[in-house]
Amino acid sequence: MLPRGVISAARAAQIGCKRSGFKLSSVFANTCVSSQTLGNNKQIRWHGDGPGPDAPTVQLTFVNPDDSETKISARVGETLLQSAHRTGVEMEGACEGVCACSTCHVILEQDMYDDLLDKMEDEALSEDEEDMLDMAFGLEQTSRLGCQITVTEGMDGAVISLPKATRNFYVDGHKPTPH
Amino acid sequence: MLKQCLLRPQTVAFVMNQTPIRSSCHLARLGSTRRSLWRTFSSTNNNDDVNNDNKPRLSVAVVGAGPAGFYASKYLTSSVLKRITQSTSSGDDDDDTHSTPFGFSGIDIDLIERLPTPYGLVRYGVAPDHPEVKNVENDFAALFNKQGESQNSSINFYGNVDVGKQIPLSKLQSLYDVVILAYGCQAADKRLNIPGEDTLEGVLSAREFVAWYNGHPEFQHIGPIVERCLWKKKSNTTNDDDITETSISPARVVVIGQGNVALDVARVLAKGKPGLIDTDTPTSVLNVLKGGVSHVSVVGRRGHVQGAFTIKELRELTKLDKEGHNVSFVVRKEELEMGMTDASMEELKGPGGRPKSRIDKLLQDNAVEEDAQSTDAEKSVEIRFLLNPTQLAPHESNLSKVGHVLCERTRLEGDPGKQRPVGTGEMEELPADLVLVSIGYRGMPLEGMEELDFFDSSSSTVVNEHGKLPGENNLFVTGWIKRGPTGIIGTNIMDAKDTVKSVMNYLETSVPVAGVESQGRDGLNDHLGAHDVKVVDWNQFLRIVSAEIDTTRLRSEAQPREKILAVSEMLNAAQR
Ligand SMILES: Cc1cc2nc3c(=O)[nH]c(=O)nc-3n(C[C@H](O)[C@H](O)[C@H](O)COP(=O)(O)OP(=O)(O)OC[C@H]3O[C@@H](n4cnc5c(N)ncnc54)[C@H](O)[C@@H]3O)c2cc1C
Ligand code: FES
Repeated sequence: MLPRGVISAARAAQIGCKRSGFKLSSVFANTCVSSQTLGNNKQIRWHGDGPGPDAPTVQLTFVNPDDSETKISARVGETLLQSAHRTGVEMEGACEGVCACSTCHVILEQDMYDDLLDKMEDEALSEDEEDMLDMAFGLEQTSRLGCQITVTEGMDGAVISLPKATRNFYVDGHKPTPH
Repeated sequence: MLKQCLLRPQTVAFVMNQTPIRSSCHLARLGSTRRSLWRTFSSTNNNDDVNNDNKPRLSVAVVGAGPAGFYASKYLTSSVLKRITQSTSSGDDDDDTHSTPFGFSGIDIDLIERLPTPYGLVRYGVAPDHPEVKNVENDFAALFNKQGESQNSSINFYGNVDVGKQIPLSKLQSLYDVVILAYGCQAADKRLNIPGEDTLEGVLSAREFVAWYNGHPEFQHIGPIVERCLWKKKSNTTNDDDITETSISPARVVVIGQGNVALDVARVLAKGKPGLIDTDTPTSVLNVLKGGVSHVSVVGRRGHVQGAFTIKELRELTKLDKEGHNVSFVVRKEELEMGMTDASMEELKGPGGRPKSRIDKLLQDNAVEEDAQSTDAEKSVEIRFLLNPTQLAPHESNLSKVGHVLCERTRLEGDPGKQRPVGTGEMEELPADLVLVSIGYRGMPLEGMEELDFFDSSSSTVVNEHGKLPGENNLFVTGWIKRGPTGIIGTNIMDAKDTVKSVMNYLETSVPVAGVESQGRDGLNDHLGAHDVKVVDWNQFLRIVSAEIDTTRLRSEAQPREKILAVSEMLNAAQR
């Protein structure tokens, strides 16, 4: 677990991002350029690597779009996006976890969704997350963004579904179901 | 094992069932099928591969290095690698599908791009004040950075190579096993087809304007036009000396169309230099925009429930004032009311209504009675509904320039989901020093593609079924040129997966119809060498990036990069 009072780098950046306008945004862009310049194998990501291997873990099951399942050990304190990337679950994170792309869309079980909501300020998702979910493909009642969910001990055993790609999606465009 | 694969019953059936061959080009390729399957490793490939049987590696050309090209490369690579692992781990696997042989031992992708730089609209479309959206460049670059992790795959970048002009599509088809078209829709615009559209100075498409403010090397001639429109001398009131770098332009800009691109354009115009200083907007562009534009109207012929924008972009406009940009957001109550037909109410409640309802609420919360503005902001962005532009009229004092947009008030008629704007006869004239037409990008066929029947000119997309072009050929398509110019970056993920599935299906069920020459990368190198094409490879692109972030070029520490605006200068940087 992260030491008390320390929030994950990703979270900090998110908060910073919201509060300080373009200043921080341009830092992201800077990092983005420098990681290319280095051209090395190890990507330098602004959100760092999340909690280390010593962090306590919980078991999560991802249901892939083809209905196969991937069971992973997620580290407490990392985001679901980080868990997925670390363990090879096929979840995109185009904006690198700053709530600006909706490619990390996941569908939760009702219980987990409600629990997370209960713990949030105003018991509601942030406006930013709701706005991004409006663009997500295959929206469900319990849809969330994987980069906005931090793994906690209480999540052990949870099942998380990735949205299904229906083959004719591009014909009728994105038509989320009502929330 | 390979022979087995070649002569599988389904393979034979496929060949016999083929539709009539339509061109001699196809004939030639069919004749060469078997030879190409037996092709040995090309010299660029790693010979001490783990898969040391005689299977060839799959050669793939991807045309266009935008999101579509990158996602297709990424998912095709992972699908092929996964398939190779499954085919080699046969025997102890219970699953039948896993143990069938696969015809290839690896995959080599060549990503061909007409500009020296990759990333398509992420670099030249996405607004500079949305750097977080551009973060996806890192994910794309990782494909190159991870080179060497698997000996069974490779990817090369061929920048500054225009498919159609510098290498014919048919040549690519004959060199590669698979060709994926991902060249986007950046070459043309949908048109209004109203008087004045082509004849008046000061009428630009949003596509041209966006490409200019993002530093696209082919659109820098747009700057002087914008400058003349925004800063024309207002006879005796202003003289040039009074204009400073933070002056607010008194000009009125009318943006026609109500998608996210229209909102991007309006926001950039309103913010101007002070609001964009810490972004990668080129300095030459900021020097034209200066303090921003005093009045931008974004006009659409339908109502707010039918708008094509998404809430994130809309909310950004509503917050400009609060965030210190000196820009108020105006939407008229009566126009929202006019758009609220019974059918619109149904649309809000129906499937897909959630985003629309949230947009409706946001607009209602921000709506004002006509002319009842309540902020001191010096600039404004106004969004106008139910106005159909019917004519672009010249300026009174300069008949070659645009001066007004004539609009007809519309009302909505029709069933939910099918409402149409119908003219009411009531006209309104909007003054305009600059008109930006933002009603959509339009796909074009590649040079030499017209005669192939592959292009549907009514939808301006490449004809396909799940990304496979019709007939006996090795052509596939993905991204905007497959489905039309809609959707966000993430939409290209699903789209690429759909196409990759078709490619895998093709590799499994048919004899790959690869080329007469089938030398893949070596053949491409030979062709480009013989035609003196100055190719920019990935490392050379990284040199362009280094040049762009060189501190001597930057306005401040906060500026992410100062883009190079000319291809010749990019090529110089690439050689350094
Ligand atoms: C102004 C604007 C703003 C946008 N903002 C956002 C945003 O904020 N968030 C978001 O998620 N999405 C945004 N989008 C949408 C997103 O950019 C598209 O979904 C995406 O870029 C489409 O990908 P593509 O690869 O099909 O096309 P493109 O990105 O256009 O890529 C096609 C590539 O092919 C190359 N090419 C063309 N012809 C040839 C040829 N003959 N030979 C070789 N190469 C060729 C082009 O140079 C280009 O690099 C925006 C789009 C626009 C227009
Ligand atoms: S990674 Fe972009 S919204 Fe989560």
